[in-house]
Amino acid sequence: METTRPLSRNLILTILIGVLLVIFFSLFPASFFSWLWNRLNVFATVFLGIFIEAVPYLLLGTLASGLVEVFLDRDQMSKWISHRPVAAAVGGAFMGLVFPVCECGVVPLTRRLFNKGLPLSAGISFLLAAPVLNPIVILSTAAAFGWGGMLLWRVGISLTIAITVGLVFSVEKDPSNILRPVLTLAHDHHHEAPATLAEKLRQALLITADEFFEMGRYLIIGAMLAAALQTFIPQSSLLGIGSGPVFSVLVMLVLAVVLSICSTVDAFVALGFLGSFSFGSVLSFLTFGPMVDIKSVIMYLQVFRRKPVAYLVAIPFMMSLLAGVLFNYLQP
Amino acid sequence: MPKRLYRSFQALLLLGMSIFLGSKAASGQLTFYINQRFVPLTIFGVVFLALLAQTIFTEIKRARQRDDEHDHDDHDHAPVASNLWFMLVPLLIGVLIPARPLDSSALSTKGFNTSAPLVSGDSSAQLFETDSEERNILDWLKLFNYDRDVSKFYGQKASVIGFVYFDEALGEKQFLVSRFVISCCSADAYALGMAVNWDEAAALEQDSWVLVKGTVNSVTLDGVVVPLIEAESVQAVPAPEQPYLFP
Repeated sequence: METTRPLSRNLILTILIGVLLVIFFSLFPASFFSWLWNRLNVFATVFLGIFIEAVPYLLLGTLASGLVEVFLDRDQMSKWISHRPVAAAVGGAFMGLVFPVCECGVVPLTRRLFNKGLPLSAGISFLLAAPVLNPIVILSTAAAFGWGGMLLWRVGISLTIAITVGLVFSVEKDPSNILRPVLTLAHDHHHEAPATLAEKLRQALLITADEFFEMGRYLIIGAMLAAALQTFIPQSSLLGIGSGPVFSVLVMLVLAVVLSICSTVDAFVALGFLGSFSFGSVLSFLTFGPMVDIKSVIMYLQVFRRKPVAYLVAIPFMMSLLAGVLFNYLQP
Repeated sequence: MPKRLYRSFQALLLLGMSIFLGSKAASGQLTFYINQRFVPLTIFGVVFLALLAQTIFTEIKRARQRDDEHDHDDHDHAPVASNLWFMLVPLLIGVLIPARPLDSSALSTKGFNTSAPLVSGDSSAQLFETDSEERNILDWLKLFNYDRDVSKFYGQKASVIGFVYFDEALGEKQFLVSRFVISCCSADAYALGMAVNWDEAAALEQDSWVLVKGTVNSVTLDGVVVPLIEAESVQAVPAPEQPYLFP
């Protein structure tokens, strides 16, 4: 009898809460429910939009990560990458030209490269620069804005921010203070290394699948948050604040975080803001968005400890803000 | 969760995701969510997800054979099982909530734009040349945005399809014929609209799709010059297959 008591108590509690909920919701008029249903539809459409858009890119990123795991060994890595902080940070920032990934795919790939012995400063500057400094994003930015100032400044400022943050992190000598311990990487390893190419590819695909689920989880949480924010907070109230050389940049930075769109396409979105926002504000949207948005921060938290993530958000934020405000004052 | 069970669920979910995206692509509903230019990428996703599922099914079979041969106990740790259940969220949302493109109920948070900048690849000359009745709402707004002197468009014939939206800034016999514009995915959607003068505007229903024909004029809303159609006919039409416009 003793053991059944907590169960029946839970049951009573559940029924009580259920009854209260029914009473609570019956207080609302019917129009509330059609409103809620409409909101839910908008939420579903926006959420699936972000998710479906991101899935192929996440697949490509995790595939790159799987291939790195199987085909790249630690010795090769240390041969290619310098361990001097400045050279490593600069080299890391340009690695995006070799691994064309956006901000969803870059997180698993960076973690894998850290695992292969990539120095911290190189990994961090890769993490931040790759979503902008890669062929796909450069082409899409050029398609939206032309081969001109916006593209050059976007690449230049992103590089500056990425290398700066990379150097900041090079001060820390012990990676375990920065990185979370790796718990869930694929454990499909066999006792002997797989020999044939087909076997290696199979191995890479299994890692890809595991990592797709692991990172997909955070993509889904991030996309739900972003969709919820967009469903319930009017964008006009945000854009309404946006005047003045400082506030307009702040609005663009917040919008970059809330929209959570992939860096491969954000240039087309930014173009739409050029009508109502200055060059500097839109530029800050284009530099900050690929580094920090809701889904990427949630993914960062799986790879890095909390404090480093705070740095990863704060330094790009300050520098993008500074760049945007400077531009607003110099060429209003 | 035992490794083999984990692998089975994983393969089923990958296959489910592949089928889900594939069916959306086949039904044309993919463009409710993303710009049509990214559809090929999703197709790649469909194929790649199926390939991953296939790889895992093979792996399960091989693992079973290995176990039969060696009878060793499986010391491999399964990855975190809860990762799997998150992948159910988009599947459930996609299946349970009926697919519906954004409509006026999204306008309250998505906002309304009255200007559309030209993409650098667009040639404005090309837009000027197109027959005025071929232009869609996006084209008209681009033209009005591009040119300070909009009076040259007055009197041109327009024929556009959009959904009806009643805005408080408008008069009694007016409505906006609107479309959502999507650059990347539904997350960056914003609505564009042209004002319409139509005596029987009050009889129209919010969100219903109409074909508006008439001559172009302009009206100033909140200090912005917006194209206006003096409608000769407003005709109910079925919703177009692609509800959005893509710049």
